[in-house]
Amino acid sequence: MDGCQSTEGDLHVVAAAHHIVKALGATKNLTDDLRKILIDLDTHLSMITSNTDSGGGRGFVDVEEQLKQAERKILSWESDPTMIWDSGPREASEYLEAVYEIQTLVDGLRRLSVHENRKQKELLHRATSVLQTAMSRLEEELIHVLVQHRQLFEPKHMSSRSTRRVVVYDDSFVSVDDEPAKETSSRNCPSDEIGEYIVDLVRADVIPDIKSIAKVMFTSNYGPEFCEAFIGVRKEALEQYSAILETEELGIEDVLKMEWTSMSSKMNKWTWSMKIIVQVYLASEKRLCDLVLGDFGSVSSFCFLEISKATILCLLNFGEAIAMGPHQPEKLLRLLDMYETLADLLRDIDTLFSEEASSFVRLQFHVLLERFGVSSIAAFEAFQVAISSNGSLYPFPGGGVHPLNKYVMNYISMLPEYCNTLNLLLKDQHVDVADQVTDPDNGPNLSLSTSCPMSCHLRSITSSLESNLYRKSQLYKDEALQHIFLMNNIHYLVQKVKGSELRLFFGDEWIRKHNGKFQQHANNYERATWSSVICFLKDDNPGSSPVLKSTFKEQCRGFSIAFEEVYKTQTSWCIPDPQLREDLRISTSLKVVLAYRTFLGRNPAHIEDKCVKHTVEHVEKQLLDLFEGSPRSLRNSRRW
Amino acid sequence: MNANEYQGSFLGRISIRRNQVVVMDAIHEQELEDIELFQKHVSDRFSELSSPSDDDAILSISWLRKLLDVFLCCEAEFEAILLMDRDPYQLSKPPFDRLIPELLDRAVKALDICNAVTNGVESVRHCQKLAEIAISALDQKPIGDGEVKRAKRALITLMAAINLDDKDGTNAKSTERSWSFGRRSGNKDRVAGQFRSLSWQVAKNWSAAKQIQSTIYNLVAPRGAEASGLPSPIYTMNVIMIFVMWALVAAIPCQERTGLPTHFPVPKQLNWAHSLIGLQEKIADEWKKKEKKGMAGLLDEMQRMEKSAQSLIDFTDSFQFPGDAEKLQEAAGHVAELTEICRIMEQGLTPLQMHIREVFHRIVRSRTEFLDVLEKGSLPVI
Repeated sequence: MDGCQSTEGDLHVVAAAHHIVKALGATKNLTDDLRKILIDLDTHLSMITSNTDSGGGRGFVDVEEQLKQAERKILSWESDPTMIWDSGPREASEYLEAVYEIQTLVDGLRRLSVHENRKQKELLHRATSVLQTAMSRLEEELIHVLVQHRQLFEPKHMSSRSTRRVVVYDDSFVSVDDEPAKETSSRNCPSDEIGEYIVDLVRADVIPDIKSIAKVMFTSNYGPEFCEAFIGVRKEALEQYSAILETEELGIEDVLKMEWTSMSSKMNKWTWSMKIIVQVYLASEKRLCDLVLGDFGSVSSFCFLEISKATILCLLNFGEAIAMGPHQPEKLLRLLDMYETLADLLRDIDTLFSEEASSFVRLQFHVLLERFGVSSIAAFEAFQVAISSNGSLYPFPGGGVHPLNKYVMNYISMLPEYCNTLNLLLKDQHVDVADQVTDPDNGPNLSLSTSCPMSCHLRSITSSLESNLYRKSQLYKDEALQHIFLMNNIHYLVQKVKGSELRLFFGDEWIRKHNGKFQQHANNYERATWSSVICFLKDDNPGSSPVLKSTFKEQCRGFSIAFEEVYKTQTSWCIPDPQLREDLRISTSLKVVLAYRTFLGRNPAHIEDKCVKHTVEHVEKQLLDLFEGSPRSLRNSRRW
Repeated sequence: MNANEYQGSFLGRISIRRNQVVVMDAIHEQELEDIELFQKHVSDRFSELSSPSDDDAILSISWLRKLLDVFLCCEAEFEAILLMDRDPYQLSKPPFDRLIPELLDRAVKALDICNAVTNGVESVRHCQKLAEIAISALDQKPIGDGEVKRAKRALITLMAAINLDDKDGTNAKSTERSWSFGRRSGNKDRVAGQFRSLSWQVAKNWSAAKQIQSTIYNLVAPRGAEASGLPSPIYTMNVIMIFVMWALVAAIPCQERTGLPTHFPVPKQLNWAHSLIGLQEKIADEWKKKEKKGMAGLLDEMQRMEKSAQSLIDFTDSFQFPGDAEKLQEAAGHVAELTEICRIMEQGLTPLQMHIREVFHRIVRSRTEFLDVLEKGSLPVI
């Protein structure tokens, strides 16, 4: 077009075309694109006609006129305190129109060889200046729209899981809750409802406005400014949201020094913050970026990465600090929570950060998952070591259920919840299979079988526990009390297993075997205590004539003393389980009372003798006082 | 591992020791040689760092990466000396029962510094983006008011970011340097776009300067007999770690660097320390000079960027269309300089962050290994 000589016919054609374009331009219902094309065409046509003049007179007058109009529009807003996008769609689209016009003029003017023509230079200069003013303004408008119309949402589905049971571990094992309140575990938490839950972080109806601003800025090569503003606002919004969730930034040093209850609650918080932030917030943010910037290629993912980087890395940092920490047994459950949460979220993280530029984020989280796994195993092993090495200097008073037993059994009864994860992690860990059971009925579900890794480890744990309890029982001088102690504790073990999901992992045979064990101890107790007592009542010479009075007296006295001794001692012993207590009393009673009754029956003549301190009923009654846990001494029955 | 296993090997080792005193002496000789070699390597590596080529000015991105490499090499050698074929019990005896935990404590502090610096690189990247806007504006031919305004806006934001007070991540104070933004909306919609809030992503009260200070605390060179044994490389490693962290903090903006210590209590007579001390003094001098003016860090590229940016701001201030030919040429030169710096940053910042991450992971791993050894060597729980 430059410098070509047009014939007069051509000029008429051009003029006609020009009129058509102007007429079309006056119609309503023009799309932005169409309008732009027409403006473009208009300008070009103007320039064609302008080239017929040597000095660029009339054509440039048209251009100048257009420039003036657009300039007026744009500059008029500069002194206006209200925001364009608050003033209605018409104002906004008129403004954009003006900007497009300037843009086209700038493009057109640049394409001509402008170096010689001073007028062109001036116009170009003026146009770019106006363009910059407009871009500046658009940036402000963008920020305003984003801030005005942002939406926060409450994390209402997530309950703060600080109400979860906390198993407190301390060396004295006293602060253990044997019947922990049945709080909602993470299984029951409606976290599964969250899933992919995308919200509108900015009101949906303003998205087209934002897009239109993006378009005009990018077309004018002011994309970087757009991104700066957009990223800035969105980043601030994300930080505000993190503040609502109370995710704090903690130094690694601080985390390592934290005491347990504080750390436990922060680990909980991390677990649910991760879910919300990754599945809800970041997923929504990504969608917003795609909606707004999807037309501009990799810009969308670049902006998303910049917006989310700091927050996600903060979460990563906390996870790493935890994984680095000393692996005490009490951490196991929280670590498993963190492991499972992250394992569930990895796919989401991979999707959100799928580009090359954000691959380091993905990688760090994959590494973190491995670390959680290693930490969990370490905590588990520490648990096992703690059991073996828990020593006692003094025997446990009363022979009841030892706190170590309670702690361990309560602890492991929470593990079935994590059986899939534990089976995965413990797969390659060596275990002392001291307590092998062969359970023929494995059933179709292999993970619940009694030979899965978790089962093996659990049995190893209880085996350790039993050894430890056995050592503790040796501290008792009284053999009978040793047996009571072991009976109580093994019974407790079995009850705990039977009464929870653990039974699926220990299997029937183990239960049978251990039932037998505590029964054995019960029998041993009876033998240890009562054989010698009943000994006094023995009839050395059955079938012979009634025994001498002196012998009878001796036997009677012997029995009474022994019985009273037992009474004094064993009323202070404890059998916590009522059923077990009852069973043992009945069993004892049967033996003792029967023997006594028989004894007295053999010597009816001497019953009235005052050496018979106790009636059969009396003995029977007193046996009921045993194992109550409070020491008593025998009130002498009335002499008769 | 249960208590019984500990017992067995512990007793086993004692009996070995009684029978093999002669062998132990030979091992000791070897150890001394290894230590000497280690310290020679340290000296060589730092000597190399002290005489950089043109491309690697001290505290430039590539120099920092070289420094990190030096750290990784030294650390690997150190770990080998301390842990390979080492009887764990030995490291639980004095003085190691104090020295090793101290080293590990410093390592943890170093981890926090690594994270802070990695985040600090983000703010450098931000400056790069702003510079690129200015460059794309001023690359237009011919330059007009529009381009100049655009560039000036970006450059002013850039300078504000560079001169950001470390203490306050969000730049509430320097609105007077803003390009008259916010006059419409008052303070309601804070124009975050221009002053992208640079929250440091560390705990609120965390201070890089204090962190460095606390690593230096209690750093005492081994004396007498200890100076020729294992305590010596432990001390060396401590010093290297502290120096590397210190240099990173001096170079890269991160939270709260006022009061950054400028003196290390490293005795000058240690052979291996000469180059390191020389470097440290050089950097400390620079720091003291710039501290008064308030700055974003001694990173070489940032310094150069600041200079060019300032010159260009002066240019934009005095610009009148169509512009003075000489000034235009000068400006073009500064733009070229900025372009080069941005190119270096584009290529080097992410690798730098990756490198710091590598150091981070190495420190974590090494710490875990030391902890394992300490655990094995401690007396079994009865």
